[in-house]
Amino acid sequence: MSRPRRRSAATIAVLLPAAMLAAGCAGTAATSAPAAQAAPPSPSLNTSLDTAAGTWAAVVMGGSATQHNNFWQLFIRPAGSTRWKLVTPPGTADNGGLVLAGSGGQALVTGFRPSQDLTYTPLIQTSDGGQAWSSLNPLDAALASAPDALAVKPGSGQMLALLDGGTAEEAAPGSTTWNTLASQQTLAATRAGRRCGLQSLTAAAFTPAGIPALAGTCTRPGTAGIFTPGNGTWQAAGPVLPAALIRQDITVTRLTRTAQGMTALLQAGSGPDARLLAAWSPGGHWTLSPPLPLYGATLTSASFGPGSTAAIITSANRGQITTGARSAWLPLPPLPLGTATLAPSPGGTADALAVRDGTLTVWQYAPGGTTWTKVQVINVPIPYGSSG
Amino acid sequence: MPGMNSGLDISDPAVVAAFKAALVHQGLIALLIFGLLGLAWITLRAWLPAAGAGPAPEAAAPVAEPAWRRLLRIGFGLLWVFDGILQAQPKMAVGLPSQVIEPIAAASPHWVQRLVNIGGTTWSYHPMQAGAAAVWVQVGIGIWLIVAARGPLSRLAGLASVGWGLVVWVFGEAFGGIFAPGLTWLFGAPGAVLIYAAAGALITLPGRAWHSRRLGRLMTAGTGAFLTGMAVLQAWPGRGFWQGISHGQPGTLAGMTGTMAQTPQPGFLSAWISAFTSFEEAHGFAVNLFAVAALAVTGAAFLSGRPRLIRPALIGFTALCLADWVLIEDLGFLGGLGTDPNSMIPMVLLAAAGYLAVARAPAEAAEPASGAAGSWRDRLRIAAAPRTLASASIGSVTSLGAIGVIILGAAPMAAAQASPVADTILAQAIDGSSTPLDSPVPPFSLTDQHGRDVTLASLRGKVVLLTFLDPVCTTDCPLEAQEFRQAGQLLGADDRRVELVAIVANPVDYQLGYTQAFDRQEGLDGVPNWLYLTGSPARLAQVWRGYGIAAQIAPAGSMIAHSENAYVIDQQGHLRQEMGFDPGPGTAATQSSFAAELTDAARQLLRQS
Repeated sequence: MSRPRRRSAATIAVLLPAAMLAAGCAGTAATSAPAAQAAPPSPSLNTSLDTAAGTWAAVVMGGSATQHNNFWQLFIRPAGSTRWKLVTPPGTADNGGLVLAGSGGQALVTGFRPSQDLTYTPLIQTSDGGQAWSSLNPLDAALASAPDALAVKPGSGQMLALLDGGTAEEAAPGSTTWNTLASQQTLAATRAGRRCGLQSLTAAAFTPAGIPALAGTCTRPGTAGIFTPGNGTWQAAGPVLPAALIRQDITVTRLTRTAQGMTALLQAGSGPDARLLAAWSPGGHWTLSPPLPLYGATLTSASFGPGSTAAIITSANRGQITTGARSAWLPLPPLPLGTATLAPSPGGTADALAVRDGTLTVWQYAPGGTTWTKVQVINVPIPYGSSG
Repeated sequence: MPGMNSGLDISDPAVVAAFKAALVHQGLIALLIFGLLGLAWITLRAWLPAAGAGPAPEAAAPVAEPAWRRLLRIGFGLLWVFDGILQAQPKMAVGLPSQVIEPIAAASPHWVQRLVNIGGTTWSYHPMQAGAAAVWVQVGIGIWLIVAARGPLSRLAGLASVGWGLVVWVFGEAFGGIFAPGLTWLFGAPGAVLIYAAAGALITLPGRAWHSRRLGRLMTAGTGAFLTGMAVLQAWPGRGFWQGISHGQPGTLAGMTGTMAQTPQPGFLSAWISAFTSFEEAHGFAVNLFAVAALAVTGAAFLSGRPRLIRPALIGFTALCLADWVLIEDLGFLGGLGTDPNSMIPMVLLAAAGYLAVARAPAEAAEPASGAAGSWRDRLRIAAAPRTLASASIGSVTSLGAIGVIILGAAPMAAAQASPVADTILAQAIDGSSTPLDSPVPPFSLTDQHGRDVTLASLRGKVVLLTFLDPVCTTDCPLEAQEFRQAGQLLGADDRRVELVAIVANPVDYQLGYTQAFDRQEGLDGVPNWLYLTGSPARLAQVWRGYGIAAQIAPAGSMIAHSENAYVIDQQGHLRQEMGFDPGPGTAATQSSFAAELTDAARQLLRQS
C-alpha cells in the first residue's frame, strides 16, 4: 500500500462520519413560503334546489373518517307535501358528490362527480320526482366540485357543464359529444374577461332566454364576473356593484336559473371584511340584496328556493335567509347540530337538513320563531365499505 | 411507493405455504450440493492420495490469521447466517417490501424512495424467489465467511459480504436512513448492514495487510472519528433528543422507543422498553447527555490509538451497546419481520476488532509468495480440477458448497427478474386456483362498443377471455380491465388469436356511451381485440343468468354489486376455466399477476390447438 493511498483512506475515515453528520443535520424541517391569496372556496355540494316537482336536496351522509364511505343522498320534498323522501339515483357510486340541475317542469338531471378510479361523469335523469331514473350519455370528464357545475336548458335538453380543469363544455340534446364552449384562459383573454381579470370559473347556467352564462372570480376590484356570449365573443352580464364595494374583489359563488330568472350569490372581499350579496335578474337588470358581513367565516352551503328565496350556512354554523329581491338577510336561530343545508320557502320559512352518520333529521323554522322544530327523521342504509 | 406493495395479507396461507415449500425444496438441493461435494472430495482424495496428502497451497505460504480478522470473519459469518434464518420467517416473502422496506424509506427524500422502490417492486413481483434468495444468499455468505480462514476464497467471502451488504443497505435499509431526519446512532445509524460491508472490506484485505500496525491504527481512528461524529450529531440542538417530552408529546427518543414497545415481543422486553421510555420522558436531558458523553469519550479513546485507553473504553462501549440493543433497538429481530439483530452487535464486533488490531499486532508479515497466486491459476484449469479438489482443505470444499448455496438462491431470482410479469401465486392467493372444465358455454348476442352485433358463435376459432364489468364502477372493474389489457400485451403475437371480451354488468348504465367512455378511461379504445358488449337490460339479464352472474342495484349511492369471475373459452366455444377475478388490493404486482394467469390460460389452449 503506497503512502498517498493511506492518506486518502485516513481522510475517508474522518470525512465519512462528517458527511453523515451533515446529512443527518440536513434533515430538519424546511420552512414553506406563504401561500398566495386565493379566491374563496366554492360552497359545498350540500344544497337544495326548487323545481316544479318539488324541492330537491343533496347532502353527504356516512360521516366516516374515510372519504370512500361518504355517500351522497338525494331527497325530494314533493310539491305540496311537507315530507321529504329518499330518491338517490341507483346504479352508480356517488362518493364524489351529486350535482343537480333542474331541466324544466318535473325533470331533474343529476351528475355523479367521479371518485376513485372513475374519471368521467355519469349523468342520470328523472321526470317523475325521482321514482324512475334513466341514464343520459355520460360527460367524458370530471365535473367541477361546484353546485352550479351542471345546467340544462329547459325544454330542449341542451346541457352545459363546468369541468374540474376550469373548462365549460356544452352538449346538444341526446348527443354523445361534448364541445368546448370556453375555458378560463379563453374567456380571460376576451375584452370582458380582461376587464374582470378572470381568475377562475365557478358556475354555469342558462339565462331565461336560453343563452349559456358563465361566472367566475374577478381580480379586478368591483367587477362581478358573469358572462354571456354575444357578437362572437363573451360579454359582461353581471350586476353593477354599489360604490361601497368597488374596491373589493368579487367572486360569483353561485349562479343558477330559477323560476323567477337568474339568481346569483356574490362574495365581496375576503377574510374578516368579506360580505355576501344575493342578486336577482328576471332578464337583463340585476337587483342586489344588502351586503351580509361574514365576520371572517366562509360560505359552506347556499340554496335557492321558490319565490326568489335564498338561504346560506357559514362556517360559523350560522344560517341566514332572504326572501327575495331587495329583502335584507335575516338571521336564523342557531342551526341544529349537523345541519348540511337549508331549504328556504316563501315567507321566510325554512327546513334545515341535519345529518348524523346515516340519519337525516329535518328541522323546520317558522318566521318569528326562536327555535327549530324537528319534523321528520329518515334513516338511510349507508353501504359502508362498498366503495373502498 | 407504486409497485412495492403487493397488497396481500402478509400471513396469507397460500403464500406462506408456497414460501415454505420453496425453502424446503431449495434446502434439500443445498444439502445435496454439500453431500455431492463431500462425496467427490472423499472419493478424489482416495483416488489421488498424493494430491490429498500434499500440502495445501495456503499452507505453502502460511500467514497466521490475526485475531481481529478471525473475530470479524466468524462474528459476521454468524450474523449473516442468523440474518438468513430470519429471512425464512413465514411473513417475509410478502411482508418485507410493504412492512419493512417501505416504512423505512418513507422518511427519506424522493430520490431515495424511487431507488428503493425498484428493489421493492422486483421483490413484490416475485416474492417466492426473492424471499428464498435472501435466505440462501445470506446463509451462503455466512457459511463461506466462517469456513474460509485464509486464501483467495476467504478474501472473496469478504468481497461477497461487501457486495450483498451494500445491496441490502441501499434497497433494504434505504441507505440506513442517513438521508432522513432524526438520524441517531442510538437507533442504528448508519445502518447495520453498512457495518457488515465495512467488516467485509477489512476481511477482503490481502494477507500482507493483516498484521500492519497502520491498519490497526486506521481501524481505531475510523471508529473513533465515527463515534465522535455521532456524539456531535446526538448533541445537535433542535432535533428533539434533549427533551424527554416536548409540547406534551414524547421527545424524539421517547417517541421511538414508545413505538418499539408496541411491536410484538415477549412481555418482559416490552415492559423494559416501556420503563425506559418513561425514564427517558422524565429525564430526557440527562439520558441524552450521558449518550453524548459516552460516545464522545469512546470516540476520543479510539482516536488516541492507545490500547490502554481503548480497552476500558471498549468495555464501557460494549455495555452501552448492549443496553442500547435491548432498551432502544428492541433486539431488532422480533415481531416476525425482523431482518437482523440491528447495529449494536456489529458495532461491538467492529470496535473489538480495531482494539485487537492495535493491541495484538505482531511484526508485519510478508505477503505470500506470488507463486501461490500462480499456483491458484494453475489449479483453476479444468484439467487440474480433480487434483485441485482432492488437495483442497475441508474449509475450501465447504466454501465451494456455500458458493453453490448462494447461486442456488440468486439464480432463480435473477431468472425471475428477467421477466417483468409478476408470479401467478399472487392472484391465486387472492382468489384461489381455478379448476379445469370442459363444457359448452351459454351463447349470447350483444352489441360491441362500436355498435356492431357480436355473438359467441362469431368468436369461434379464437380463445375468448371473458369477464363482466360495470362501466361506472369506481374500484374493481377498472383494475380488472387493466388486467385484461396487460394480458393482451403479454400475449404478444398470440394476441391475434385471442379475444378479450367484457360484458356490461350494470342494468342502469348500460348504453353505448358508457362502454365507450369506459374504454377511453382505461385506454382500451385502441386495443383491436377488445370487445365491450352490451344490450338491453333484459338481454343482459339473460346472459348474466347463463353465466351465474349476480348484478344487483345496491341502495343509497353504492355501485352495482356483481360477481367477479373470468372465463376462459376455447376455440370451439367450450368453457375450459372459470377463475375468481376479484382483483384484491389492485396493486401493480397483483394486476400483473392476474394478467399472467389469464395469459397462461390462453397460451395453454393455443398450444393445444
